[in-house]
Amino acid sequence: MALGSEVFVLGGYQTDFARNWTKENKHFSALMRESVRGALEACQIAPEEIESAHVGNFAAELYCMQGHLGAFFTEVDPAFSGLPTGRHEAACASGSIAILAAAAEIEAGRYDLQAVVGIEQMKTVSADVGGSYLGTAAWYEVEAKGVDFPFPKLFGRLGDEYDRRFGLKDEHLAEISRINYANAKLNPNAQTRSWYMNKEHALCRTEDNPAVGGRIRIADCSQVTDGAVTIFLASRQYAERWARGLGRKLSEIPRIKGWGHNTARLKFADKIAESAASPYVLPHVRSTIQSAMKRAGIADVNGIDGIETHDCFTTSEYMAIDHFGITAPGESWKAVEEGWLEIDGRHPINPSGGLIGAGHPVGATGCRQVLDSALQVTGQAGAYQVEGAKNFQTLNIGGSGTTSVSFVIGVD
Amino acid sequence: MTTSPRSAAELRRILASRKLERVVVLGANGTMGYGSAALFTTAVPEVVMLARTKAKADEGLAAAVKQVRSPTVANRVTTGDYEHDLAKAVAGADLIFEALTEDLAIKQDIFDRVEAARRPESIVATVTSGLSINALCAGRSESFRRNFLGLHFFNPPNVIVGTELIAGKDTDPAVVDFIDAFSTFRLGREMVRAFDTPAFAGNRVGFKVMNEVAQLAGEIGPLLADKLVGPYTGRAMTPLATIDLVGWDIHRAIVDNVYAHTNDEAHETNRLPDYMATLMEKGVLGNKSKRGFFKKDGKTRLVLDPATGDYRPEAEVVLPDLAYIAEVAALHRDGRYREGMQVFLNAQGEHAKRARRVIAGYVAYAFNRVGEVAETIDAIDRIMGLGFNVAPPSVLVDTIGAAGVVRMIEEAGLAVPAALADAARTGKPERFFRHTRINIGRFFVAE
Repeated sequence: MALGSEVFVLGGYQTDFARNWTKENKHFSALMRESVRGALEACQIAPEEIESAHVGNFAAELYCMQGHLGAFFTEVDPAFSGLPTGRHEAACASGSIAILAAAAEIEAGRYDLQAVVGIEQMKTVSADVGGSYLGTAAWYEVEAKGVDFPFPKLFGRLGDEYDRRFGLKDEHLAEISRINYANAKLNPNAQTRSWYMNKEHALCRTEDNPAVGGRIRIADCSQVTDGAVTIFLASRQYAERWARGLGRKLSEIPRIKGWGHNTARLKFADKIAESAASPYVLPHVRSTIQSAMKRAGIADVNGIDGIETHDCFTTSEYMAIDHFGITAPGESWKAVEEGWLEIDGRHPINPSGGLIGAGHPVGATGCRQVLDSALQVTGQAGAYQVEGAKNFQTLNIGGSGTTSVSFVIGVD
Repeated sequence: MTTSPRSAAELRRILASRKLERVVVLGANGTMGYGSAALFTTAVPEVVMLARTKAKADEGLAAAVKQVRSPTVANRVTTGDYEHDLAKAVAGADLIFEALTEDLAIKQDIFDRVEAARRPESIVATVTSGLSINALCAGRSESFRRNFLGLHFFNPPNVIVGTELIAGKDTDPAVVDFIDAFSTFRLGREMVRAFDTPAFAGNRVGFKVMNEVAQLAGEIGPLLADKLVGPYTGRAMTPLATIDLVGWDIHRAIVDNVYAHTNDEAHETNRLPDYMATLMEKGVLGNKSKRGFFKKDGKTRLVLDPATGDYRPEAEVVLPDLAYIAEVAALHRDGRYREGMQVFLNAQGEHAKRARRVIAGYVAYAFNRVGEVAETIDAIDRIMGLGFNVAPPSVLVDTIGAAGVVRMIEEAGLAVPAALADAARTGKPERFFRHTRINIGRFFVAE
C-alpha cells in the first residue's frame, strides 16, 4: 500500500461475550450502544470526530426482527445525527467485510476516521431455531433445509475430507479444543471463561459431550453468543494527531498491513470437487491468507507472531494450521503435537480463546479478531498476551469456507 | 489490567518457578469442597478428595461430576478418608486445600494431622469465608505459617471467577504471588487481595447490603424490599433471593461474625433481624429447606410474611406505585444506564428514598472499608463485580455521578467518605472504575 493510503487501527471495545442480553432484558440497541460508547471512551475519541460508520451483521432480521442497523448509530449519541452509515453482510465474515469497506473509504481519501461495529444478538431464539437461521449462510435449500444443525455437519465433512486425504485423529481435534478453552480462561471477555473443559472431556464420547454432526461434538463447536465489537480505523493524518494527543508515537499504533479476500462456491461439495487437484482442501482460503501476507510484505508464517483464526469448529482450525503454512498440507497434527499453538509456542493460535473459547457472535467475530490482534501488537492483551508480538494475522470465514477474509495487523 | 498490576510475562515466570501438580481437598463432600475439587481437575493431573469416610468423599466426587457435567473429573480424582488416607495424600501434595465446616476447633484438628504429614514446602490453603487466617495457623510451625493462606472461592467455585487471596502475617509473599499466578493462569480466576478481617472484603460489604434489605423486609415485606433494591439498581439477582440461595444459616453465620467482631459506622445494619432468628428455629433456611423469603408452590411464587411466618401468593401482595422502576428499566433496556440512574436519583416518594438509602449505604460502606478490608477500592470493586455479580461501588459512582451519590448519602443521613466528597467537589477523578475490559452495562439489568 502507498504511504498515503495506510489504515490505522486505533483500538476499540468488546462486550463481554459471556453475557446473555435477553436475560438482561435488553434490546439490540443497548448492545450497539455499549460497544460504541465503550470504544469511544477506551480510545478517548469524541463522537463528533467520527466521519462515517459501518456495521457488520449477519442476520438481525431473523434473530431480532430488526434491520436498518446503521441507523442505530443515531441512537448512540446525539452527535451521530447525520452520520453516513451502512451495514455489511457475508455470513460469519460480516465483521471483516465491514472493515474492508471502511478501510477502502480511508484509502480512497473520503474519510479520516471511521467506526466499524461487528454485532450479533443470537440468544433471542432456541438453539434449533438459531441453528436453522445459521443454515442461511450455506445454500439453504440444498444444504440446510430440514437439517438439524446444518453447520456442524458441514464442518464435520471438512474433517472427513482431511481424513480421506491425509488421515485425521480425534485426539488432535480435542487438543485444539482444550487450548482454546484454556486460553479463554485468561480473557476477561470470553464466553466460556468458567466452563468446564480438559482434554479428556473434549475426547469424552458420552452424552456429556454429545455428537451434533458427524465427527463434530459439542466440545468441537463454538457456541451461540451475544456480542458486539467496535473498532476505529483512521488515516495516517488522523492517527498521527490522535497518537500525539495521547503522548504516543505513530510507530506504536497498529495498522492494517495487508488484507486478503476471496469467495469460493457456496456448496461444500462444489468446493471439495474444485480442490481435488490442489494440495490444499480449501485453496481459496489459502489464497486469502497468502494475499494478506504478500500485501504486508511478509514472506511466510514465520513473520507472523500470532494468529486469530476462525475456529467455528475444531476442524476449521485444523484446516487453518496447514493453510497458514505452519505445516505442510495435511500435517496440521504436527503443530498440535509439538505444542506450537500455545500462547508461548512457536505459532500461537487464538490466544484469546478463538471462537470456541471466546465466543462467536457471528457478525462481530471479524472485528473481535482485529481488535484482539491490535491489543496483542500493542502489549495490551493482559493475561493472554503473546510476549513481544509485532504482527498478528486474522482469518475470518463465512459459510463452509465460502467467503474468507484475512488481515495482517502490525506495528513497525 | 483486570488482574494484578504485574505483567502477564512476570506472572508466567512466577508460575513457572515451582510446580503444583498434586492437590488434596479436605472436606471434599461439602459444596465448596467438591466444587473446588472439580475446578482443580481442569488444571492439575492429580486431585485427592478426602472426607470423614470414603463413602462421603465418593459422594463429593459424584456431586463434582454432576456439577460440571463431566465424567472425566473422576479420571483425575482419587477418594479416601482422613483416618487411612490423609497422611499419605498430604505427604505427596503440593497444595493442601481445606474446605471443612466453618469451625475453628474442627479445622485446627485437621491441621494437626496436616502439619504432621506435609512436606515443608507444600502450600496449605483454606477456603474459609469467616475465620481468621492468622487465628487458623496460630501456634503452628514456621514452615506451616509461611506456607498458609486463604484462597476464598465464591460458590459455585467452578462458575464464579472472583476469588479472594488472603495472606496471614507470616505468609511468605512468594507463596502469595505464586498462588495468585496459579489461580489466574491455570484456574482462570480474577484474583483480589483482601486483608485478614472478619468476612474479608466481598462478604463484609455484600452481606451488609443483603442484611439491610432483610431488615427492610421486616418493615415493608420481602416482595417490596426486593423490588426496591432490585436488578435495576445494578444486580442480576435480588438481595433476598440471594439470601434464600446461599441459605439463611450461612447468611446468619456471616453477619453474626461481622456484628460480633467489628464496630464500624454501620454496625446495626449487620444485626440479623429478629424475625429471621425466630423463623430459623422453625426450620426456615431458604431454598435448601424449600422455605425462605420466597417459596414455590408449583409455578406460583409465594411470599413470606415476616411477622407470622405465613406465605401468600405473590399476586395477592399489594404493591405501591413503582412507576419510577419501570422508567429506569426501560432506559436500561436501551443501554441508557446513566439516564436510568438519574431517574432513580431524582425519583420522588418514600419508596425510592428507601431504595436510595440502601444503595447509598452500600457505596459509602465500601469506600469506608478501603485500608481496612483491602488496600484499594479497586479490590472491593472487583470482588463485588466478579464475585457477587453486583455493580461495583465505583461503577455506581461513575454511572450516577459523584455529586449525585454524595446527595444520596446525605439524604440517607450517612457520613460522606472523603474520596467521594473530593470527587464531587473537584470533578476528579472523572472515573473511579478504570477497567476498560470489564463491561459495566452487564450489572444494570432492565427489570
